[in-house]
Order: sequence, then C-alpha cells, then structure tokens
Amino acid sequence: MNHRSLAFRLAVWYALLLSATFALVGTAMFYGLEQYLRAGLADSLRRRSTQIEQILAQVSAVSTQADIAEAIETRVAPEFNNRFVRVTRAPGEVIFRSGMPGDRSFDPAKVPPLTGPWPARSLAHRIETSNHQWLMGSTTPLNTASGRYLVELGASLEPVEAVQTRLLSLLGLLLPVLVACAAGGGYLLVGRALRPVDRMAQTAEQMIVQDLDARLPVVASGDALERLAISLNHMLTRLRDSVQTSRRFLADASHELRTPLTVIKGELQEIVGTAGIARELRERIGSVLEEVARLEHLVSGLLNLSRLDVGEAQREWVDVDLAELAAGTAEQMRLMAEDRGIQLEASALHSTLVRGDLGRLKQIIVNLLDNAIRFTPRGGTVSVQTIRRESYDALEVRDTGIGIPAAALPHIFDRFFRVDAARSREDGGAGLGLSIVRSICVAHRAQIEVDSEVGRGSCFRVKFPRYERPRITAAPLASTPSGEGGSQHSERLSVSSADRGP
Amino acid sequence: MRLLIVEDDRKLAEFVARGLRAERFAVDLASDGLEGQRYLDTYQYDLLILDLMLPQLSGTELLRRVRRAHSALPVLVLTARDATQDKVAHFEAGADDYLTKPFDFAELIVRIKALLRRTPQEHNDILRVGDLELNRLTQQVRRDGQRIELTAKEYAVLEYLLSSPGRVFSRTMILEHVWDQSFEGVTNIVDVYVRYLRRKVDEPFVDKLIHTVRGIGYCVRAAESAHEAGHE
Repeated sequence: MNHRSLAFRLAVWYALLLSATFALVGTAMFYGLEQYLRAGLADSLRRRSTQIEQILAQVSAVSTQADIAEAIETRVAPEFNNRFVRVTRAPGEVIFRSGMPGDRSFDPAKVPPLTGPWPARSLAHRIETSNHQWLMGSTTPLNTASGRYLVELGASLEPVEAVQTRLLSLLGLLLPVLVACAAGGGYLLVGRALRPVDRMAQTAEQMIVQDLDARLPVVASGDALERLAISLNHMLTRLRDSVQTSRRFLADASHELRTPLTVIKGELQEIVGTAGIARELRERIGSVLEEVARLEHLVSGLLNLSRLDVGEAQREWVDVDLAELAAGTAEQMRLMAEDRGIQLEASALHSTLVRGDLGRLKQIIVNLLDNAIRFTPRGGTVSVQTIRRESYDALEVRDTGIGIPAAALPHIFDRFFRVDAARSREDGGAGLGLSIVRSICVAHRAQIEVDSEVGRGSCFRVKFPRYERPRITAAPLASTPSGEGGSQHSERLSVSSADRGP
Repeated sequence: MRLLIVEDDRKLAEFVARGLRAERFAVDLASDGLEGQRYLDTYQYDLLILDLMLPQLSGTELLRRVRRAHSALPVLVLTARDATQDKVAHFEAGADDYLTKPFDFAELIVRIKALLRRTPQEHNDILRVGDLELNRLTQQVRRDGQRIELTAKEYAVLEYLLSSPGRVFSRTMILEHVWDQSFEGVTNIVDVYVRYLRRKVDEPFVDKLIHTVRGIGYCVRAAESAHEAGHE
C-alpha cells in the first residue's frame, strides 16, 4: 500500500476523525450514564430515608428498639434491597443497623460511625468503609417527639461501577472494529472514486508522441473529474496539432530542399566534369560539393526522422534474428574499424528474435557501430553482443572510446547535439545518427540506454520487449537442442559474412 | 532516342535536359502535367521522366493516364518523397523506376540506360579498363595478366566502378549499390574500401586507374585519359 496515496491518506483521516468522534461520544455516554445511575441511586436512598423517617415519627414512648427494627425491616428490607441502614438516637445510641446485604456488596460492620457533630439537614455524601469500599450515603437528622435521630442510608456503588465497566469494555471492543471499518471502507470508497483518474492516467501513460490521437475517457460525472478529462483532452488536441505542424514543417522543409540540392549538385558536378578547367577551380568546386554532400546527408537524416515521427507502416515487419543481423553488419563494418586500428568483436551473440523492420533494425546497428568506431582511438575495441534477460532481449554495443561526460549523457539522443562540436563535425557527423537510432527504437517499442565513463568507454544498450515467434506449426526445429542451434548459427554466420575473397 | 521530362522546377529540368543532350538524347521539356499530357499525345517518346508533384495535373494522375494510353512507355519517376509506402504506391501506379532527389546525374543516366535496354541487360562478361580485367563469370580480377585477390565487397565496388568506365560514381551511389539503405550516411566506409582496393589494384603498378574526383566520388579510367580529368 502506498503510504502517500490519496486513498490511503483519506482513509487515515476518516479513521482519525471517526475515532475522535467515537471517543467523544463514548466519554459523554460514560459520564452521562454515571450521573444518571448515581442520581437514580440517590433518589432511591432518599425515598428509603423518607420511609424510615415516617416510621421514626410514629415511634412512641412504648416502642422498643425491636419494634422499630421490625418496622424498618418490614418497610425497607435493607438486606434484601442491598442497602445499609443505621439509625442513631441522640446522643449516640445506635438503635438499628441493617445486616449483611443479599449480594454481600459491602460489610455493614465496616461502615465507620459518624464522627463529629450531626449535620443540620439532610445531606448526600460518599462513605468509605474501613476496607476501602465506597458507598453512596445519605444522612438525615430528624427531630421527633420521641427524640432526635440520625438516619444514615448507604448503597454500594459497585453496581454503577459494574455498568460503567461493561460500557467501557463495550466501547473498547467497538472502537477498533469501527475504526477498521471506517479506514477500510474509506480506502475502498476513495479508490472507487479515483478509478476514473486511474484510467485517465493509464491512457495518458500509454500515449506516445507517435500516436496523439487517443483521448482520455470522459466520465459524465459533472464534477471536477469530468472537467479534468475534458481539459486534458483539449490539451492533447492542441499538442497533437502543434506536433503535427512542426512535423509537417520539418518534412516540407526537407522536401523543398531536395530539388535545389539536386540542381546545385548537378550543375557543380557538370563543371567539374568539363574538360580543361583549371585544377584549382576544380578543387574549389570539389570542396563546395563536399559541403553539398553534407547538406544532402543532413536533409536525408531529417527526412528519415520526420518519416519515423509519422510512424512507418508495420506491415513490413518481419521476424529478425538480432544476433545474425548484428554479426552480418559487424562483418560489413570490420574493415572500417580495422582501418582505424580498432578491433571489432561480434562475439557472445545468442540467437535473439525480435520483430521489426529489417532495414531499420540494421540501421540501429550500423549507426551505433559507426558511432563507436568514430569515438574510439586507435588500439581500442568495439564489441557488439546480444543479451537475453527475463523480460527483454537486448543488443549491446560497447567501446573503449573516449566516453561521454555525464553532463552530456541526457542529451546525446537530441537532434544536432554534439558532445564536442569541433571533433565530430570534422568526422562528418551531422548529429542526427543517435536521434535516428532513438526514433527507430521508439517505433519498435524498444528502450535505449547508455552507460559511459570518460576515458574508459561507452555502452549503448537497446532493450527489445520479449518476442516469441507465434507457433503455427509444431515444427521439429523447435525441439532442436540449443547446442545444435549454435552450430547452425555459426554456419549461417559464415554464409552471411560475404566479405571473403573470391 | 527521344525523352520527355515533365518537371515543374525549371532549373532542375534544364540541368537534366542538358546532361541528357550531352549523352546524345533528344529531350523535350514540359513544366506541368497538362503540358506533359499534350507532348505525350503529340509525339512518340522512348522514355518519360516524371516529377510527381506537378501543377495542373499531378504526376501520379499523369502516370495513370500514361499507363492507359501508352502502356509500354518506360517511366522513371523523380520525387522528393522516398517513404516506402510512396514507392510501393508509385510502382503500383505504373512507374518502372524511381529516383529520389537529390540524385546524382550519373545515377540517372545508369537508370535511364537500364530502362531503355528493355531486353535483359546485355551482360559483358569481361569488363576491361586499360590492362585491368574483371571476369564476371569467374569473379576473377587480373591486371597485366596477374591475378588480384579481392574480398567480396572490394570486388563488388570494383565491378560497379567498371560497369561504366570514365563515369564518376558518388559515394552515395556506391553505398546504395554495394551496401544497402541501412548504411545511409556512413559514406566513409566507401572511402575505406576504395583505399584497400587501390592498394591491391593500383599500388603495384605505375599507371593509376582508380581516381578520386573531389566532392563527387570515384571513377575508373584508363591512364591515357587521366590527364584531362582531375585526379589526386
């Protein structure tokens, strides 16, 4: 789970808010209930007290303590009702004390006697027994004809506390469940609400500059999401228009340059071919023609790029064995490398199938090798190899050349970019070779990477998505052990490496 | 041989016409599709050189009409468009060959001559320039009777240069003919091979046969004419 995602953060907020609310409500309930229960208890004590007061009011001189006790037992039944009752006649004679309550929630013997002067009027208070139990108490002074009495009543707070404890444990049990529900539900709901955004992101991600015609799905929700999709689509339309305009400009400009170039080249070549013109003039025109050739190369590179931008037809795509293609191409360029004192290695080539335009794929290899050869000093090595990995197949061109400074690495595939302007221009590079390579890679959904270290060399790696030849026939070839495949391969190499003496 | 050029760029048309006239062709010029149509309706031509982007009547449309009316007339299309789809489309529309601007005049001549031959190329099995001899059947190269060992690519370059002695072949022409489209722009590979070729064909001998024409390319020429044209 992504801890920074909107859904996660919203879910956490939900959970926090809900827990706070729940805690607040729980606290209010807890104390409210306590108040209510205590009030009820106090009320009941007061009623019992009133009953005892009535009994005492009727006490006459002939009444014995036993009569009073019996009357109280009959009317109030303190043991049965789990109440404490103590009646004291002034100045300090206890005339009645209730016994052990039915639920044994307290011990009447442990209730301390009243100390100090009697209160002037009825009061409610808490009594602590000698064994540290708390009772709710009510003490009422009473003046009757038969004398002054103090009526003390008490009830254990345990039942109240028990209810509170149960409430607390209920709340404690409910809270995590509730929070979990809120968090999970919130996460799911937000995820659901964000699904259109997800779809938009996916669509946007799949868009490549070659195909700007796709549009984001618009959910008619009438809210910010719909507006976002619509405005992004408008932006895409404008982007497509501007890309198309610039591509058309590039294509048109290169086209328009071709006819004048033909004329310039033709006329100059004709002059050079004319018999009897001065040698010096011939040299100078030759020099101009060399520039024309460079211009021509440039225009054809730009056209190449603009054609790749538009996206070439894929119907000419075929299954291509990269290893075979690389070996054959390296063979064709070997002499060029050797001429510069560079060793060209085409080893470690495992049969690697990709699907694409044969000529274009070869162009990748030619351009990368040409590039490597141009930037590798005498005595160096350039090698090409294919690599098979779990998820991709790759072609690698390594050199022990001058390398590319780290600052330049992000730009080497840009059009007209040169690491060292003076140096590569001298070598005739127009600065388009690598951007053509990249465009071909994009068209083939391949990724190109480069590692380089100044003074040590560079490594260009083209990663092709894994391609399996569709199995149409269960050909016995498929079961050929790889060892034999290897020997077949090397035979093919010797056939394709046509650069041998007659 | 009478040729018609339909090309709206006046300078290009005139330069091509001049070159072709120097090669002893009769050349007519039309600068738009309709004019081209009128010429075709009036005269008999052996070959039509057609630009595709023309005013009045597009080259593609003219090509279609030509195929209906003069089905056997060879048509060489000149265009600035070289996308594969375009090529296929124009071959389907009836073009016999296709040349992309900017082209080398030498290439144009080679293509025109190939188209005019009609019959399968008359093959000279033995190509000769001075004392250099290339046998296409045995793929053997001899100079002054001495056998010269060449690699396949060196042989291909030499055979191409010898196919038209005295004509200057541009690096691009050699590259496209001996290598392929994928090597576009890597013209220094041609220089390397020509250098190796020279080492074997010219260095041991007094008379040099392979010449560099600065800014254009290479040609093979016998020693006696070497004084006229430029060489290193």
